[in-house]
Amino acid sequence: MNLLGLIILSLALGALAWWGFVWSVKSGQYEDPEGPKYRMLDDDDDERPPAPPPPDGPPASSG
Amino acid sequence: MRCDHCLASFPAKEVVRLEGAAGAARPAAAPGDGPPGLARPADLVFCCTGCRGVWLLVNEEGLGRFYAERRWALPGRPVGQVAPPADLSAYAVTPADGGAAAEVDVAIDGIHCASCVWLNERLLQRTPGVLAARVNYATHRARVRFDPRRIDLPRVLSRIQSAGYEPKPWVETAQAAARDAEVKDLLVRLGTAWFLASQLMIYSAALYAGYFQGMDQGTRSLLEWISIGLAAPVLFSAGAPFWRSTLTGLRHGRFNMDSLVVLGSGAALGFSVWQALHGGEVWSDTAAMIPTLVLTGRYVEARARRAASEAVARLATLRPREARLVRRGQEPSTTPPGAGAPRPSAEEHGGRGAPPADRLVPVDQVRRGDLVRVVPGERIPLDGRVVEGESEADEALVTGESRPVPKGPGAAVIGGAINLHGSLVVEVTHVGEQTVLAGIIRAVEEAQAQKPRLQALADRVVGVFVPLVLALAAATAAFWLWRGAGAERALLHAIAVVVIACPCALGLATPVAVLLATGLASARGLLVKGGDALEVAGGVREVLLDKTGTVTRGRPALRAVLVLAGGSDPTTAVAPFAGRAAGLVALAAAVERRSEHHVGRAIVEAARALPAAPEPEVTGFAAVPGRGVEAAVDGRRVLIGNRAFLEDRGVPVPPEADGRALPFEGAGDTTAWLVWDGAVEAVFVVADPVRPEAPAALARLRGMGLTVSIVSGDARATTGAIAALLGVAAVAEASPQEKRSLVAARQAAGRRVAFVGDGLNDAPALTQADVGVAMGRGTDVTMESADAVLVRDDLSLLPDLLLLGRRATAIIRQNVFWAFFYNVVAIPLAVAGVLHPIVGAAAMAASSAFVVGNSLRLRSTFTRADAALARPAAGGSEVLP
Repeated sequence: MNLLGLIILSLALGALAWWGFVWSVKSGQYEDPEGPKYRMLDDDDDERPPAPPPPDGPPASSG
Repeated sequence: MRCDHCLASFPAKEVVRLEGAAGAARPAAAPGDGPPGLARPADLVFCCTGCRGVWLLVNEEGLGRFYAERRWALPGRPVGQVAPPADLSAYAVTPADGGAAAEVDVAIDGIHCASCVWLNERLLQRTPGVLAARVNYATHRARVRFDPRRIDLPRVLSRIQSAGYEPKPWVETAQAAARDAEVKDLLVRLGTAWFLASQLMIYSAALYAGYFQGMDQGTRSLLEWISIGLAAPVLFSAGAPFWRSTLTGLRHGRFNMDSLVVLGSGAALGFSVWQALHGGEVWSDTAAMIPTLVLTGRYVEARARRAASEAVARLATLRPREARLVRRGQEPSTTPPGAGAPRPSAEEHGGRGAPPADRLVPVDQVRRGDLVRVVPGERIPLDGRVVEGESEADEALVTGESRPVPKGPGAAVIGGAINLHGSLVVEVTHVGEQTVLAGIIRAVEEAQAQKPRLQALADRVVGVFVPLVLALAAATAAFWLWRGAGAERALLHAIAVVVIACPCALGLATPVAVLLATGLASARGLLVKGGDALEVAGGVREVLLDKTGTVTRGRPALRAVLVLAGGSDPTTAVAPFAGRAAGLVALAAAVERRSEHHVGRAIVEAARALPAAPEPEVTGFAAVPGRGVEAAVDGRRVLIGNRAFLEDRGVPVPPEADGRALPFEGAGDTTAWLVWDGAVEAVFVVADPVRPEAPAALARLRGMGLTVSIVSGDARATTGAIAALLGVAAVAEASPQEKRSLVAARQAAGRRVAFVGDGLNDAPALTQADVGVAMGRGTDVTMESADAVLVRDDLSLLPDLLLLGRRATAIIRQNVFWAFFYNVVAIPLAVAGVLHPIVGAAAMAASSAFVVGNSLRLRSTFTRADAALARPAAGGSEVLP
């Protein structure tokens, strides 16, 4: 039946998404929610000499 | 020589000078920097042109304050000096890639920002033999995968050290690991539940459309069975924890939130199956939505809790875990053979020349009788007795005493205290469980065990509500039987009552409000551990504050300068343009700059506020321990010291000075007497000043109708003076256990008590109190035992916390009401037997929307409070007259 086929298809697609979600949790993709926003700014260009380390002082609290 | 920018030591022949910089912002060299007489502040010295460039750049940008604000004077570990980690066994190296590689988790201390993370990652990735390195931005944990044949663990760690960061073993407490696993498990359940529920919604929508537009029986039946098939795993698989909790609850004869979920959702599912078989409307969407929404609330709650405890765990990594072992003790009974033998004389201390290389060992390997060295600025690792060296110890964190305690040979030292200046060699007398510190920690644990956990409001309501609903359902069945309906029909109506009465939004009522409140709090610099802390904070009637470090700043500052009339005026030579008091401070600072005593530091600190002036020439500086300092300025003798110093040198104390200094001394302040050419010129009063924000914060607390008082371990006079200044009651000389019993006494009188403190000596009281609030600069034990932490170390956050607690409690109460409201309104329909599943779905949606919307109102808490407050007056300046 046509309707039943569509239902099975939609359930299969949903199940695929669910499997992907469970996999992403198990592989620890939700453990560092902070990182990605910085990592996307990183230059992967290793030709450049590496930037000097930031002064290892107190956290920048004053202007 | 020391670079004025980076503070690195360098040989004098490589110096890069910047002359005539005295007019510009003077870099406030930390007291005692460099050998006396070498660095003339008018000239700046740099180790390289790069540092000079940076210094110029910083000052050109008008940011010279950086040099005054930075706290680099505390000796840290110099960059590049790589000490091998003391204890490699604490690092858990696990094989990866089937044995071809090894993986280790390292906590990196000293990471402040994203570029620190970047640097560490790149550094490790470029190290030959390291296969992969990734640093977690939130937890600062580096996961390093390396090839054990090409590089070993110590070389990986020293790579991190070489950049100036401190690798530490990543130790996760069993509690934290369990919490992480719980959050992960909840996330999978939540995702599963939402996936099934969203699929289910498609079929429910089709079914609802079918109710109104008509649908042939075959299609309808198919859709109904699919929806039941989707709802069942939500309840039985994703919702498995609800079943477990319900069973344990029932065994104790209690109904909790989970039993309500199981009851409502289970009844809805069973009802649906029966209806599908007999041709009625199904309730599978209700059956799925109840557990899904409650799981959402649980997840939100767990995340908020984990965020708070993660931040605290990060602060806890600051605890020193290593000791510098000079020599093993000779007690044969306490040391195994071999290790107990005295080290060869080359390692013995006492010879001239270079000091022996101390071994860094983990604190738990130190035994009684061992000699350990404590360098200035370091925490004393264990209780002991000084055998060599002169210094002062800051024991404020342990005992509450605000003034540094002088320590010479024979003096007892307490583990956890900070050695201020001068290197000490300490013979360890107590280790492990016998230390003072361990005793305090035991008291904390005791109080923790006795502290009752507050049952969440939702759970308390549910405990009453569930029996009520069951009674109502029974009454409905009885009513229909009495009306002459069949048993089957009566049962169906009864079940409908149970289904509609189950308020799924109740699961959101507390967590959403707590999430918003904790988020709001952390944006302000307040760390709240969990929702019940907020709820209790709202009900606090009495606030007890520790003094040292909580109401006061915890480090001494110059409070007053008593200038004596008459006499010769030494200040004209020093700072002719400034007032006499300022000139005296500048003069004293010029001398004290070479001292490391806390009085000296306070005077130097005060001099920083003065306009820059050419410093007089100071020669022949000498510090007399326990007395004071002396030097020659422009060829004339200057003494700065205590009364005993004056006596030693036969300087008469003028009666005027005596009379004016006595009240300050009576209040527990320290006095330093400035003698110029054999006559007392001025008396400096140094005291631990009240935090500038404290008067306003305490006034706000009283304005909120709270009783405020101070409890301190410090002396009666000092405590009394501060309390009188702030206009609150005070209890002095209280031991940690006394503080705790004081809190307990107030609690016994039926009042909810908040305790605010920063020291270890406060930890038992913090735990005992209904709400323990720790200052952000406190010790890790303090923060661990507290329910909330003022991360910004700002006392004005305390009223904010209590205000937020009140507001959050009110919002949670309203949420609970709204969660019940729509369901309760629909109950009569169920009793009457005319309830349609669409009504149930609408009730659910409406109450959830109301709960979330109502919680959002929390966001206005502080904007309103700030407006009402109209900016509290900044506390009066405390430094110069």
